[in-house]
Amino acid sequence: MNMIETQNLCKSYGNFAAVSDLNLHIRKGRVYGFLGPNGAGKSTTMKLFLGLTQPTSGSFQIDGMQYPADRVAILKEIGSFIEAPAFYGNLSGEENLEIIRQILGLPKSSVSDALELVGLTQFRKRAAKKYSLGMKQRLGLAGALLGQPPILILDEPTNGLDPVGIHEIRTLIRSLPQQYDCTVLVSSHLLAEVELMADDIGILNHGRLLFEGTANDLKIRAHDAGYSTDNLEEIFLSMIDEDNRKRGAER
Amino acid sequence: MILRLEAKKCRRTGFFPAVLLAACAASAFPILNMLVRAETFTAMAGAPFDILTDANWQMMAMLNILLAVCGACLLYHTEFADNGMQKMDVLPVRAGSLFFGKFVLLMLALFGVLFLETAVLGACAAHWFSAYDWSPQDLLASVGFQWAITFPTVMLMLVIASACKNMWVSLGIGVILVFTTTVFPQGSLGLQLCPFSAPYQTLAAVQSAGKVPLFLGVCAAETVVFGLCELIYLKVRRRFA
Repeated sequence: MNMIETQNLCKSYGNFAAVSDLNLHIRKGRVYGFLGPNGAGKSTTMKLFLGLTQPTSGSFQIDGMQYPADRVAILKEIGSFIEAPAFYGNLSGEENLEIIRQILGLPKSSVSDALELVGLTQFRKRAAKKYSLGMKQRLGLAGALLGQPPILILDEPTNGLDPVGIHEIRTLIRSLPQQYDCTVLVSSHLLAEVELMADDIGILNHGRLLFEGTANDLKIRAHDAGYSTDNLEEIFLSMIDEDNRKRGAER
Repeated sequence: MILRLEAKKCRRTGFFPAVLLAACAASAFPILNMLVRAETFTAMAGAPFDILTDANWQMMAMLNILLAVCGACLLYHTEFADNGMQKMDVLPVRAGSLFFGKFVLLMLALFGVLFLETAVLGACAAHWFSAYDWSPQDLLASVGFQWAITFPTVMLMLVIASACKNMWVSLGIGVILVFTTTVFPQGSLGLQLCPFSAPYQTLAAVQSAGKVPLFLGVCAAETVVFGLCELIYLKVRRRFA
């Protein structure tokens, strides 16, 4: 069963197509790694799912609900972390999560659970504006994980974290489907990271989906196309390079 | 729930100290005025409360409007400074509810301020005018009227603050509007009914002109119109995001 599904989803800004005819199929209980170079349309796609921006054309369903008719119901099911951590700097980490908890109508214990999960318990009383970049990132993640939502949308969640933090967050994301039966859509430009945590992979370039499937499917496709299949990075670079060449030729 | 959330968001922003400071400054004005010029006012003919209101309300109202401007800017600065608003946008809560939560919070703060100011005016009248007949109903009617005619000013200021990411822009617009209304002649009824100008009117003056229902009606209509403008703005902002 697909938790998120799009049909010819497009988003344009004037003449620039940020997302073009996107047909995604994100399966329930899987970690879906969204790969693409900067400006490929990953964040735009995630913003479309959260209703932060409107599609130019096409449609999508999340957990069987249709956007925009069920926007509020969709948001109740999604925990998200988009681009940069978003919080109230004047409030402590705990107070920030408390606001989200009240809006979502969750039990009080969910705040301490989320703080524990991202390792912020000892800094919970500190004003969020005084957090380091890594701590702000963790606070953003805690906000997304609060109440264990069935769907998580995480845009480059390990940005700004040190190697230990990256490892912790990666392990956490990897464990979420088993622990909480949730579906994770995670974008990253760290290819090795996606390789380690994602069950399914989607590769986006210039707003178009070049590939969707498991890491094994990707290797098979790469082999058939004559690319090096040593690692995901090689495959990714070859695919992007070929797509860019085709686009250049088309122009 | 929204009101409680909005109040919680104001922690450590300086919003509540600003309200307290403005209330104290505006309330101190009639006391200082009476301490310095008591003979001038006690020699005047008329109702003591009205004499004091006439003498002090322009300055007190200006402080109240400046509080509304600063309060609206602070409330939205908190949202924009660290992208708190973006987090709210991805939660199952309507942006319109958050806006009206802020409006209610600011109006409640202003009610407290107006209540204190009116109580101080009443206390000054009781202290300096031996003929003053203390009437809680009259004082409450005055608070209620002043509060009601402040609604459109607060609503408009919140609309401006919600549209400006940079707090200094909304603060600048607010201050310009405060001083622009003082430049225009106050005799024109049309101008008196405008936001930023209406709060300068006193209940006694409006009552003597028989225009209380007109003021209340127009201010209510302006409040609704500005509220609708905000809802339209939120829809447009989402569409073109």
